Amino acid sequence: MKQTFKHLYLIMISMMCLIVDGCTSFRGPKYPDIIYNNEQPLISVSYEYGEIQIILPIKYEAALPNNILFKVFAHADTMNPIISILQEPPNEFRTSVPQGVLDTKEKTNLIRIIPQGKDFDQVDVRFKGIHFGRIVLPPKMVRIGQLIVSGKTFLINNDSTLANVEITLQNFDNIIHSTYSNENGLFQIAIPGEYKFAEHLRIVAGDNMVFKPFIRQLDFTDSRKVKLDVGLGPSKEMKGPLYIVNKDNVQFKKNPDIGSEILFLLQQGEVLSVERITPGAYFGYIEVKLKNDKYVKMEGWVNRLDIEEINMSSINKGFSDK
Amino acid sequence: MLFYFKKLLLFIIVVSQLYPQIKLDVNTIPTEVDIYLDGINLGSSPIRNERIIPGLHKFEIQKKGYAPLNYELFVNPSKAIEIDFFLNPIHKCKFKTKEKGLIFELNGEHHWDVGLIRLNLEAGDHLLRVFKIRELVDEQIIQIDKPETFNYILKQPLSEL
Repeated sequence: MKQTFKHLYLIMISMMCLIVDGCTSFRGPKYPDIIYNNEQPLISVSYEYGEIQIILPIKYEAALPNNILFKVFAHADTMNPIISILQEPPNEFRTSVPQGVLDTKEKTNLIRIIPQGKDFDQVDVRFKGIHFGRIVLPPKMVRIGQLIVSGKTFLINNDSTLANVEITLQNFDNIIHSTYSNENGLFQIAIPGEYKFAEHLRIVAGDNMVFKPFIRQLDFTDSRKVKLDVGLGPSKEMKGPLYIVNKDNVQFKKNPDIGSEILFLLQQGEVLSVERITPGAYFGYIEVKLKNDKYVKMEGWVNRLDIEEINMSSINKGFSDK
Repeated sequence: MLFYFKKLLLFIIVVSQLYPQIKLDVNTIPTEVDIYLDGINLGSSPIRNERIIPGLHKFEIQKKGYAPLNYELFVNPSKAIEIDFFLNPIHKCKFKTKEKGLIFELNGEHHWDVGLIRLNLEAGDHLLRVFKIRELVDEQIIQIDKPETFNYILKQPLSEL
C-alpha cells in the first residue's frame, strides 16, 4: 500500500513537471526588459492667476482737467501699455492687472497720468510690483503745468547784452520767484501753474540796475510759455549828455522857478537828456512810455542836485558786475 | 529664547515674502500613486493644497505596471497650479512568427530572433524593424493600447492573433 502511494506520488510529480515545462515552452521565453517608447506622457498643467489691484490717490491743485488718461506700463516698456483708461478726474485711480505682469524686483513699472488739457503736464508714477494682492501708492498731485517766462536782457541804447539783471515775477507786490540773467543775458523763470489765473501778475526786471526797472503785466491766457525780451535804459533817441535821477519823487517842472508847474514826479533811475544847464537846474527831456509801447519826449526842468551824469560806455561794464 | 524666536519669525516672514507660495494640486490616472517633488515624497495622489514656489521643479512618479514619469516644470508666479499626469500603462504582449531566419528589432535597441516571445510594452507607438541576413526586410509601427498577441508574417502588416 505504501509502495503504491509512493509510485503514485512520483507519477504525479513527473506529470506536473511535464505540464509546467510544456506550458512554458508553449508561452515562449520572456524578453528581460520593459520596452518603453520614450514618448512624452500626457500631462496637463493649468494655472489660476490672481489679480493685482493698484490704487493711486489723486489730488488736484487749483484746477481740474476735463478727463484724465491713465496708462499702466510694466518692465520699463513705455511703448505697450498693459492698461489704458480714459475717465473723469477721480479722487482715486483704481485698476487691476493680471498677476505676473509687473516687475517685482525693480521700480520699472509706471503709471502715466495724462490730464486732457493744454494747461496740464503729464505725471509719471514709478512703482515696484508685487506677485499678487493690492498696491496702494502714495497720493499724487495733478496740477497745472508751470508758467515759464524766458527771454534776454539788453541795453536799449545800443542793443548790447546785459548780464546779471535781476528778474522777478510778482503778484501785486509779492515776489513769487526771482532770478538773474546769465552772462549771455538769457533768463528763464518758472512759477507754479495756479498763477495762470492771477490778474496782477507782472515781471519786474532791473531792480539791481541804475535805470528805472522794466515792468510788464503778464498774460498766460493763450500759452503757458511767454517769451519776453527785456530792454533797459534810455532809448537810442536819447542823446547825451545823459543824466539819471538819483532819488524817487523828483520834480520835473515846466520852468526852473520855484513854484513853477510840476509836470511829473520822476522815479529813481529815470534818464534825462540834458540840453541846457543853469547854476541850480538842468533843462532836458525825458521819455514817457505810452500804453502802446511807444515813447513820447517831454521837456522840463530838474533840480541839479537830484540828478547825476551817466556815461553809457562805462555803464555797460558796470552792469556786468552784479 | 524670545529673541531667537522673533528672529526666526522675521526670517520666515521675509522668506515667504520673497518666495510667494502657490497652491498645488496634483491628479494622476491611475490614482494612488506616490508623487515625488524635487526628491521629496508628497504622498499618494490625488494631492491637494500643497504649496510650491515659482521656479524649476522636478516631478517623479513610479507605479508598477506603468512607465515611470520624470517631468521638469518651470512654475510661473500665479495663485494656484493644477497638474494632471496620465501614466502610460505597460501591456503584456506576445509576438510570434512562423518565418525562419528573421531578427526583430524594436525601437532600435531591443532584439530577438525566436519564433515566440513575451514582451512588456509601454502603451503607444513602437518601431519594429525586421532583418534577414543583416538586411532590413521590413519596417512598421506597432500601436500598443492593450495586451495583445501579434502574429508576424513577412512584409505584411502585423495582425492580432
